[in-house]
Amino acid sequence: MKRTKIFSLILVLSLSFIYQGCTDLEEEVYDKLPVDEFGQTTAQINSLIAPIYRTLKGVFPSNYFLLSECSSDMAITPTRKGGDWWDGGQFKELRLHTWTPNTSLVRGSYNSAMESISSCNKIYSMIEENQSIENKDVILAEIRGVRAFWYFMLLDYYGNVPIVTDFNDTSKPSTNSRKEVYEFVLSELNAIKDVVRDDVTAASYGKITKGVVYTLLAKMYLNSMVWNPDGGSKWQECINACNEVMALDYVIEPSFKTSFVVQNQNSKEIIFPIVFSTADGGNHIHKRTLHYLDPIPLNLNVGTWNGVSAMPEYVRAYDDADKRVDWSFLTGPMYDTNGEILITAHGRELIHTIDIEIKYNLDEDGWGQVEQEEGARCSKWEFENGLNGDMENDMAIFRLADVYLMKAEALVRLGQDNAEATRLVNVLRRRAFDSDEKLLSSVTLEDIYQERRYELAWEISARQDMIRFGTFLDEIPGWKPESNEDRLLFPIPQSALDANPNLDQNPGY
Amino acid sequence: MKKRRELDFPDREDRKLNLSFKKMKLTLILTLLVFVSFGNGFSQVKLSVNFEKATIQEVMETIEKQTDFIFLYKDEIFDNNKRYSIDFENVAFEEVLNSVCNSAGVEYEIRNERQIILKEKIKTSSTVSVFQQRMVSGVVTDDEGQPLPGVTLVVKGTTNGTITDGEGRFQLEVPADAETLVFSFVGMEKQEVPIEEKSMFTVVMETATIGIEEVVAIGYGTQTRREVTGSISNVSEEDFNKGLNQDAVDLLKGKVAGLTITSGSGDITSDETIRLRGTSSLTGSSQPFIVIDGVPGMSLSSVAPQDIESISVLKDASAAAIYGSRSASGVILVTTKQGKYNQSLVEYDGYLAMSSVTNVPDVLTAQEWRDYTSANNINTEGLDLGANTDWFDEIMRTGISQNHNLSFSGGGVSSNYRASISYLDQQGVVKDNSLERYNARLTFNQKALDNKLNVTFIGAMTQRNYSPTDTRNFVLAYNMIPVVPVKFDDGTWFDTQEYDQGNPVRNIEFNKRDNKYSLYFGNINAELNLFEGFTASLRLHKQRETNDYGLFYDSDTERGRNDQGFAQRTFWTEDKKLLEATLNYEKSIDDHKLTALAGYSYEDNYYQNAGAQNRQFVTDFFGYNNLGAGENLRPSDVWSGKNMNKLVSFFGRVNYNYMMRYIVTLSLRQDGSSKFGANHKWATFPSVSAAWRINEESFMQSATFIDDLKLRVGYGVSGNQDGIDPYKSLQLYGTSGQYYDNGKWYRAYQISQNANPDLKWEETSMFNVGLDFNFWNSRINGTVEYYNKQTKDLLYTYQVPVPPFLYPDMLANVGSMSNKGVEFLLSGDIIRQRDFRWTASINMSHNKNKITDLSNDEFSTSSIKTGDAWIRGGSSNTTHIVEEGKEVGTFYGWLCYGLDGDGMYIMEDMIDGEEGLTNDDRTYIGSAQPKLTYGFSNIISYKNLELNFFFRGVYGNDLLNFSKMSYATTQWLPGANVLHDALTIGLSDNPKYSSFYIEKGSFLRLDNASLSYSFDVSGISEIQKLRVYVTGQNLFTITNYTGLDPEVEMDGLDPGVEGREYYPKSRTVSVGVNVSF
Repeated sequence: MKRTKIFSLILVLSLSFIYQGCTDLEEEVYDKLPVDEFGQTTAQINSLIAPIYRTLKGVFPSNYFLLSECSSDMAITPTRKGGDWWDGGQFKELRLHTWTPNTSLVRGSYNSAMESISSCNKIYSMIEENQSIENKDVILAEIRGVRAFWYFMLLDYYGNVPIVTDFNDTSKPSTNSRKEVYEFVLSELNAIKDVVRDDVTAASYGKITKGVVYTLLAKMYLNSMVWNPDGGSKWQECINACNEVMALDYVIEPSFKTSFVVQNQNSKEIIFPIVFSTADGGNHIHKRTLHYLDPIPLNLNVGTWNGVSAMPEYVRAYDDADKRVDWSFLTGPMYDTNGEILITAHGRELIHTIDIEIKYNLDEDGWGQVEQEEGARCSKWEFENGLNGDMENDMAIFRLADVYLMKAEALVRLGQDNAEATRLVNVLRRRAFDSDEKLLSSVTLEDIYQERRYELAWEISARQDMIRFGTFLDEIPGWKPESNEDRLLFPIPQSALDANPNLDQNPGY
Repeated sequence: MKKRRELDFPDREDRKLNLSFKKMKLTLILTLLVFVSFGNGFSQVKLSVNFEKATIQEVMETIEKQTDFIFLYKDEIFDNNKRYSIDFENVAFEEVLNSVCNSAGVEYEIRNERQIILKEKIKTSSTVSVFQQRMVSGVVTDDEGQPLPGVTLVVKGTTNGTITDGEGRFQLEVPADAETLVFSFVGMEKQEVPIEEKSMFTVVMETATIGIEEVVAIGYGTQTRREVTGSISNVSEEDFNKGLNQDAVDLLKGKVAGLTITSGSGDITSDETIRLRGTSSLTGSSQPFIVIDGVPGMSLSSVAPQDIESISVLKDASAAAIYGSRSASGVILVTTKQGKYNQSLVEYDGYLAMSSVTNVPDVLTAQEWRDYTSANNINTEGLDLGANTDWFDEIMRTGISQNHNLSFSGGGVSSNYRASISYLDQQGVVKDNSLERYNARLTFNQKALDNKLNVTFIGAMTQRNYSPTDTRNFVLAYNMIPVVPVKFDDGTWFDTQEYDQGNPVRNIEFNKRDNKYSLYFGNINAELNLFEGFTASLRLHKQRETNDYGLFYDSDTERGRNDQGFAQRTFWTEDKKLLEATLNYEKSIDDHKLTALAGYSYEDNYYQNAGAQNRQFVTDFFGYNNLGAGENLRPSDVWSGKNMNKLVSFFGRVNYNYMMRYIVTLSLRQDGSSKFGANHKWATFPSVSAAWRINEESFMQSATFIDDLKLRVGYGVSGNQDGIDPYKSLQLYGTSGQYYDNGKWYRAYQISQNANPDLKWEETSMFNVGLDFNFWNSRINGTVEYYNKQTKDLLYTYQVPVPPFLYPDMLANVGSMSNKGVEFLLSGDIIRQRDFRWTASINMSHNKNKITDLSNDEFSTSSIKTGDAWIRGGSSNTTHIVEEGKEVGTFYGWLCYGLDGDGMYIMEDMIDGEEGLTNDDRTYIGSAQPKLTYGFSNIISYKNLELNFFFRGVYGNDLLNFSKMSYATTQWLPGANVLHDALTIGLSDNPKYSSFYIEKGSFLRLDNASLSYSFDVSGISEIQKLRVYVTGQNLFTITNYTGLDPEVEMDGLDPGVEGREYYPKSRTVSVGVNVSF
C-alpha cells in the first residue's frame, strides 16, 4: 500500500504540473509574420509598399482590359464553334450591353479595385504609424497616388462608389456620388502632384511619379464633362497637365515597338506601366488571344485559349499603309514547321481572318458560334521566342503618345492652336507610316478620335474614348442595337451589395 | 472496442444472483464460467501466494488477480469459518491449485481448456432413500452439437441433481415420481425436460443471449452492451467486409445504419467520403473523428485491416461528446488485436485479387466516327490517319493485387504480445495507378507491481508507396479521335496540341507522380491500480508522418511539352505528441453501480513542408531526381512552410446504474484549441444520456421471449474545428509575389487574410432516442433510432465589404443546419440448425438535411451558389445552391423539358416572370442526398462452408451526369471524340447545365459476395485453423442511371456529380487463404 500512495502522490503532482504548464494556447507562427514584427528596415518597408503596385495586375489583360475592349467596338470574345468561350454568356453580355450585377467580369473588376484600395489604406496607416521612416510624406503620397488611380478606374467604370481612406474605420461605408468621387480623386491628385518624385529613370519606372499624377489629372480634366458635368469643361486644365508631363524626360520613341517588346522597360515613352515578369506571372494576353495551334508557328511553349479577337470593323478602319495594323493584329495563315498550313480540330485551315461571322447555333439575339480560327488576334505585345508561361512584356497604362493625343484633343475642343494639335498627331503618324503623304494638314475631333483608335488599340482606352465622343451607346451593325444610357456605367456587383447593405445600385440595374 | 463474446459475470454479486439454487442443499455444484483467454499449458505459469489465516475466497481472489483467472464456484462449497495459511513462492500454478483445493476439500475441473470450475468433491451416491429410485442418463450438447460439461441438472422441486461430465454425459438416480428435469448452465437458456417413461435423454442447450455480452468501446473506456446509453454501433471481425480492403472503413461499408461510405472514384489511392448522419459543415470536413487504440486523430492507413479486432462507431453526440471539439461528425473507434494469455499463434492471411473495370465511357469507335463524318460530308483529310484506337482501352488494364499478413501472438501470466506484418500490393485499373503498403505493428503488454501496474506498448510503422492516377488522361481519352494511332508504324508517338488533346498513353508511359508516405509511432499506456476500484492511467504517444512526393512530366508528353520537361519534389512532415492522463473509479454497492472517469489531454501537432520545382530539362533522364538540372527556375519554384496547433482538454464522465435497469451517463469535456480566435479559446461540451432496460422490470418477467429491451435517450453537444486552419484568427504578413524596383525584383509582403478573432468551432447538439430489442434467444434483434441534430456557428467564408476589409471574404461562424433522421437495424437467424445457419441483417437509414440559417447581424448571404459545371465553353456555371430551407447538395439550374425538333433545349424561361432565358430562371432541379440508404447482409453456413453476401444501395437521390453534359454533343466532331449518346440525343444547342443532365441515382449493388471453406483440422495438431475463400466485390449494380457509376463523390457542398475526369470503378475477384498454427 505504501507504494500505491507514492504513486498517487506522483500522479497528483504531475497532474497539477500539467494543469499549470500545458494550458497555454498561444499559436507559434513560423512561415508568416506577426504584424508587429515587421516593417523596421528600409528593405522591409519597401516590400510592404510593393503590394500597392502588384494590384495593378488586375487591370490587364483580364478584368478592366476585357470590360473596356469587349464592351466597346474594339474587341470581342466570340463563342467559338463547339462552344468555347460561351462562358455562361458573359462575353455575349459585354458585346450586347446586357451585363448584370452578377456578371463575373463586373464583379471581378470591382473587387480588384476595392481590394487594391483597402490594401493601400492598410499600408498607408502602417507607414503613418511607423516612427522609424524618414521620408514619410513622399511614401504616403505614393500610396495615395495608387489609391487615386484605383478611384479613377472606379469613377470611370462604376461611378458611384464608397470613398474609404481610413483602414482603421471598420464601419460599412456608404455610396458616394460620382461627383464626390470625381472631386475626391482630383483633390488627392492635387495634394500629391508636387510631393511625388519627378525623375524619369530606371529607379522611378513602375512607380507613382509626377508624370503619372499629371497624366491622371489630364484624363480627369479631359473626361470631366462625362464624370462631373456640373463642374463644367476643363480643357485648359487638361492642356496644362499635359504640358507638365511633356516637360518631363519622356520621349516619343522612334520605334513604336519599343514600348511593346519583351524588355520594354527601356522605353522612355512609358509613363505608368504594370510591370510584369515571367517569374511572377500576370501578362497572359498571348493565352487569351492565340489559337491552340498558334504556338507552333510562333514558337511558344505554352497552351493557349483561342479567346479575344479584334472586331472586324475596327481593323478594317486602318489605312492600308498604316504599319500599326501589323504591329497590333495577327492575321493570315499559320504554318507548321514543315511550311504546311495547320489544320484545326474542325478540319479547317488555320487562317486568322479579319472577318468574324456568326454561323452556328444562333439564338434569338443573333448570338452564336463562329469558326475556331476566325478573327484578328492581339499581337501588339511581342511574343517572346520559346516563351514558357506568362509574358515578360510590361503593359503601359499611360504612355506619352496618349498624352500627345489628349493635348491635341483639348486644343481642338477649345478651338485653340490647331497647328499644335496637328503637329502632335503627326508625330505619331510619322512613326506609323513610311510616307509623309499620310500626315494630316489640320486635325478635326474625328481625326483625333480615329487616331486614338489606331494608336491605342488593345490599350484599355476604347471604352472611355467612345463614351467621351458619344459613340459608346451606338448601334454596331450586325452586332448590337443601340443601348440604353444607363449602360455608360457598370452595375455595382450583387456580391458587394450583399456584403454591404449601405451601398446603392447604379440607376438602371 | 473490442467485442469480446464474454460470458457475463462481471462481479460476485451477479454471480450469486444467477445461481438460483441457493437455498437447495445440493449434493453437487454448479460451476461456471469464465472467460478470458486461456490456453493449454497453464502448468507453466508460476505464481507467488502468501497468506495467513485467510478465507478461501480471499485466496481464490488473489490467485485470480495474479493470473487473470476467474474461478467460478458457489460460495456454499467452502466453509467460511475455516482459515488457511499458505506460502508459495514462484510455484507452478497447477501445484498451487492442487494444494489449495485439497485443503479446502473441493475439486477443480478444466473445461474446454478455458474454464476452471470449483466444486465439492462428488460423493458417491450412497444416499439411502426411502423412495424408490430409477436411473436416467443422457448427453447434453450446445446448439452446435458440442458436448457441454458442467451442466447442472436437478429434478424439479428437489435438490436432487448432478452435473455433466467432460463428455457432456450424465447419470442420475431420480425418484420414481419425478416428472421433470431442469437443465441449467450459465450462458445457456434454462431448459425443462419431461421425464415421462424415458431413461435416455439428449438435450440441446440454446445459447442465452442475455448472458453473452459484447464489450463495446465508448471512448476512454469500454462498457458492456447492456450498459451502453448512447448510440453506438459495434462491428467485429466476423462481420467485416471480405476481400480487397485497404483500411478500417472499407470493412464497415454498408454495415452501420447512418454511416455512409462513398468512393467517389475508382482511384485506389483516393480517400473515401465518410458521413455519419449527414453533412454538418459547410467548410470543414464532415468526416468522423478516428481514434485507434485510444489515440485520437489517427490516420486510417496506420492499421492494416487484418490487425483490427473491432470497430465502434459513436453516432450520437451523447456518446461522441467525450471527444469534444472534434467529434461533431461522429467518432470511429478502432481496436486492434492483442496477444492472449497462454496462446501461441502464428497466423497467415493472404489473397490474390484481380480487378477489371466495370464500365468505360461509350465513345465513338473508329467505325462510328467514319460513318458519321462520311454521312455528314465532313472532309477528314489530315484528321483520319487510318488507325482504329480505343483510347480508354489503351490506358486501362486488369489490375492484379496481392495481400499478405503474418502475425505472431502469445502470452503468459504477466505479459502478452502480438506482432504482425502486412504487405499490400494493389494495381488500379488505370495503368498509372498503383499502391504498395507495408504495415508492421507490435503490441506488448506487461504487468508489474503485484499486477497493480499494467503497461501496454504499441509500436507501428506504415509505409505507403503510391501513385494517384492523372485524371487529365481521362479527358484526353474522351477527346482523342479514334482514327489516330497511339504510335506510328515507325514506333514514334502520335501527338496533337489541339485543345484538351494529347496522347494519354504517352503521358502514362513517361510521366510519374510518386508518393512515399511513412507513418510511425510509439505509444505507451500505463494503468496503475491505486486501490480497490480506482485506476490511474497515463498514455504517451509520439508519432511522425512524412510524405515525399515526386512529380515528373516528360518533355515530349502533353503534360510536359509546354515546360520542356517539368519536375517537382515536395516533402512534408507532421509530428504529433499526445499525453493523456485519466483516473477511473468503479464502485458497486448492492444494486448500485457507479463508474467515474476524469481525464486530461494535451496534444500538439507540428506540420512542415518544403518543395521545389524546375522546368526545361535538356534530357528526360533524371525524372524528378535532379531538379538542379532544369534551366528555368523561378523565384516561386522553391518554398517551405511550417505551422502548428495545440489542443488541451479536460474531460470527465460518470455512469450510474441501478440494478442494470436504470442507467445514466453524464459527460463533460472542455477543449482549448490554439486555432480558436482570441475571444473564444475554450469550448465546453456536455452530454447526458439514460437507458431503461424495460425487460428487467418485474412486470415484464412473464414475457420470457424478450431477452433484452432497452430504451435509450441522449442529448449532447459536440464540436468541429476542422474548418479552421492554423492562424486563421490572426493578422499576419505573408509573402506576396515580387515587385520591381530599379531593374531588380524583390519580394513583396502583404497582410495575408482578414483576421477574425471571434473564430471558433462549429457546434452540434444532438438529441437521440433509440430502442434496442432482442427476442427469442437472439433469433431477432435490432435497433430503431431517431435523432435530431442541430449544428450552429457553421464556418463559412463570407463576403465582406472591401473596404473596410482587406479582402472580400472572411471565415466566420454564422449559419446553422439541421439533420434529422431515423435508423433501423434488424438482424436475426432465418435458419438456425446444427449444420445449417442463415443469418441476415438489414439496416436502413434516412436523413433529412436542412440549412436553417445563413446570416447573422454581421454576415449575411441570401444563398451560396457553388459547384462548377465547367464544360468547354461554360466556365461560370454553378451547379448547386446552399440556401436557407434547402438541403446541402441541392442542384440549381435551368429546368429543361427536353429538346425541340431542332435539337435545341426547351427550357423553362418564365421563372423570373419574364421571357428569355437568364440566370434568374434557374431553379431547384434535384438533390444529391438520398432519401434512404440501406445495406442487406447474409451469412449462410452449411457445415464447413460459408457463403457471405452483401447488398447495399441508396434510394431517392439525383445525380449530375457531367460526362454526358460534356461529351454528348456532336459539336466537337470531327476533331474531338464524343460519347455515342451524342449521335442519339440529337443535341445541336451549346451544352448547358440544366435538369436535362440530372438523373435518378438510386441503385442496388451486390457489393460483396464471399464463399469460404474451413477445413476440419481437428486431426492435425500443428494446425489450428485453415480456411480458403473466394470473394467478389462490386459484382453488379442495378440502376437507371446512364452514366458510368451511380456512386460518386459526396464530399463538400457540391456532391453527386460524376465529373468529366471520373475514374471508373472496378470489379474485383480475390482468392485467399487463412491459416493459423
